[in-house]
Amino acid sequence: MLLVVEQLLNGLQFGITLFLMSAGLTLVFGIMQVINLAHGSFYMIGAYVGATVTVYTGSFLLGIAAALPASAVCGMVVEIIVLRKLYNREHLDQVLATFGLIMFFNELTRIIWGRQPLFMDVPPWLSGNIELLPGLFYPTYRLAVIGVGILVALVLWLIFSRTRIGMQIRAGASNRDMIGALGVNIKLLYTLVFGMGTALAGLAGVMAGPILAVESGMGESILILTFVVIVIGGIGSIRGAVAGALLVGLVDTMGRAFLPALFRFLFDSATADSAAASLSSMAIYILMAAILVWKPKGLFPAHS
Amino acid sequence: MNPLFRKYVCIAAVALLLAILPIAASMLGQEYYISLFSRILIYAIAAVSLDLLLGFSGMISLGHAAFVGIGSYVVGIFFYHSAEMEPLLTHPFTVQGSENGLIVIPLAVLVSAIFALVIGALSLRTKGMHFIMITLAFAQMIYYFFVSLEKYGGDDGLSLYARSTLPGLDLGNDLQFYYLCLLLLSLFLLFTTRLVASPFGIVIRGCSNNERRINALGINAYGYKLACFVIAGAGAGLAGALLANQTEYVSPGLMHWTLSGELMVMVLLGGLGTLFGPVLGAAAFLLLEEFLAMYTEHWMLYLGPFLILVVIFAKRGLYGVLVGGGKDHG
Amino acid sequence: MAEMLLEVASLNKSYGAIQATQDLHLNIEKGHIHALIGPNGAGKTTLVNQLTGDIFPDSGRIIYKSCEITRMSDYKRARLGIARSFQITHIFENLTVAENMALAINARNGHSFHFWRNSLKSSIVTANLDNALARVDLGHRARLKASHLSHGEKRQLEVGMALVGNPELLILDEPMAGMGSGGTVELSKLISSLKGSVTILLVEHDMDVVFSLADMVTVLVYGHNILTDSPTNVRTNKEVQAAYLGESVDA
Repeated sequence: MLLVVEQLLNGLQFGITLFLMSAGLTLVFGIMQVINLAHGSFYMIGAYVGATVTVYTGSFLLGIAAALPASAVCGMVVEIIVLRKLYNREHLDQVLATFGLIMFFNELTRIIWGRQPLFMDVPPWLSGNIELLPGLFYPTYRLAVIGVGILVALVLWLIFSRTRIGMQIRAGASNRDMIGALGVNIKLLYTLVFGMGTALAGLAGVMAGPILAVESGMGESILILTFVVIVIGGIGSIRGAVAGALLVGLVDTMGRAFLPALFRFLFDSATADSAAASLSSMAIYILMAAILVWKPKGLFPAHS
Repeated sequence: MNPLFRKYVCIAAVALLLAILPIAASMLGQEYYISLFSRILIYAIAAVSLDLLLGFSGMISLGHAAFVGIGSYVVGIFFYHSAEMEPLLTHPFTVQGSENGLIVIPLAVLVSAIFALVIGALSLRTKGMHFIMITLAFAQMIYYFFVSLEKYGGDDGLSLYARSTLPGLDLGNDLQFYYLCLLLLSLFLLFTTRLVASPFGIVIRGCSNNERRINALGINAYGYKLACFVIAGAGAGLAGALLANQTEYVSPGLMHWTLSGELMVMVLLGGLGTLFGPVLGAAAFLLLEEFLAMYTEHWMLYLGPFLILVVIFAKRGLYGVLVGGGKDHG
Repeated sequence: MAEMLLEVASLNKSYGAIQATQDLHLNIEKGHIHALIGPNGAGKTTLVNQLTGDIFPDSGRIIYKSCEITRMSDYKRARLGIARSFQITHIFENLTVAENMALAINARNGHSFHFWRNSLKSSIVTANLDNALARVDLGHRARLKASHLSHGEKRQLEVGMALVGNPELLILDEPMAGMGSGGTVELSKLISSLKGSVTILLVEHDMDVVFSLADMVTVLVYGHNILTDSPTNVRTNKEVQAAYLGESVDA
């Protein structure tokens, strides 16, 4: 039972990382109608800058403080130089150009930081475990990640439901013509939304630093999961991003944790292990296919 | 110069070059180029098949490498079972492994086509960005499936020790293998050129321009797009079967999404919607990789921005530069 | 009583709070040119989309040749002989004029699923292509990419494609939109030459065109059929003038 709770928390923590990635990207898809493959690159930039600053200063908080503006600025520069030229182009052009961005950023990080992965330590004040329930010890750092994620979700919710700019962005995500009609400076709004999205990706990256290896190309594996989240949730919907991220995080973590045990009831252990390994690594894609057959536009379609 | 004439001159020149290249290479003692160009011809088949989707029917698949991978694994798995003398399947009927190219290559094409049928049938329920992401996700699903297949090497893949056998040919001979690839590429180009000008072809080209209008004409666009997706998947499967033979090695790396992206880059560099262009694109991409890598290990740093410039400013690709027309299949 | 080709009964369609089609009844007599008019936002295109199967109504029935088609998919309706031209020109800009027409010819004859033969050389296409192009006066443009046609010619091509295979009901959604006066005259001639051979539902803003061509006129306001009558009676109807014609004529 404790194991189930622990895995639920792991799933939640993974889901929250995915949410930070998806929130910005789903808005970029929804508002600007741009398919951006390079979103994972900003996750990688956040991780690298955060890890480097943490190593030099010895402070994880300074690392985060550096990673956020770094990924935001990189994002806004890329938006101004490249993405703006692509807003009215076909999706194919967007895919190809942002694929070019991935090549560029992956190679750039290899030049700056080398081919060896960087490893980041969990800061001392977040290391160790907390006893959540009698007998259930959970790493403090992972709890902190969950806390930060929930905080960000709350802040986003406040921005989108309470502020003028938030409502404009939401209106834009569900109906593009609206923004123009509201008399908003669209160029500036696009750049800001893009920068906010890449800052969140950078935050996800720096927080994943102590859990994963920081290396060139680390953005792509999470990018594809982010796509799965967005497709499941519905393009352009923050609510969908929350639901999709938690669903993907939980299904993936629980599948990996419990499918082998489950299968051992059914088959001999060799078959069970290999079948469970295949199925758990494919589980979220199967989930996505099933949801799309049922609802081709995702769970919470923003465009009616 | 008349563009049509220029087109035929260019195609004839490229064909002649490809036909005499291995002879020249072996005379100069540069046998290495024969295997490099075999690889180019094989990637060209995959890129041409992807051009059917990207350039003609407007279906932007970001998972095309999956079918290349499936084709190569069919060859790999049949080879493995043949070498181990262990039946591939015992229930409900017995299937033995095989090294016979007349069996495994068509089978690779068929299995890829079946996968394309299933993936396409599901993916085509969606449109636009959803379609792009779903094809990518299906490819990842297949990638992870093969990564977790410990029996066939998992992450590390399978080594084949030898190429498929074909009556009257020795595929282990690089020269013969090269000409087989050239023949298959030529046949595939002939088929696709006829295809895009056929009644079926104008329907799929119409779909890329305006799918709703196709339906208003009384044509069920879904069926045509699915058929096109299956044909493209089969072409990629053929490329995969040849690639498994060329490298004598198969691995999940072949279906990684970056390969799908690279195939797209080949199509773009060569010229979208031109069929012959992707052949040039495949050659350009692999040669660049080969030679730029000699001068700088960071060649992707230059290729990335170059690609962005091509997308923004010069979408006609190499084919457009040589022949002069843009999207023209006259 | 005259034979009805299309009967629409109690049709409703809403988008959220907006009732785009409201308890709509409409009968179109075989052989007529039946015009559909109404102010902007009256739900004309929504109605047309329900007739062609692009969207399905929330409730109500659509009967075509005594057969219910309310929830039939668009391509099946097209096979039953309902052809349409769109409000915004919908031709295939990336194909040549001849290929556009060949596509329509193959579609009508169920001959599109061929992979090998050249699309312009099949017997069914060679037998019909020249005629089909000549009917809309585009024979001399056959080899041109459709994107290079003038606006009026694109319309002609579109109508020509809709006419291939001799549909029984032709729906023309604002065929005159965005055309110069010369083009309007050409297209009016084309439409009036079709009178009798095909039933036409004409959605149009240009009142001169409507009153010179139509046998019957239906006035749509807020998704509701407020009047169906002869052009003369519609023109003199006070309610129509108030709701629609007044503002349109003044504008």
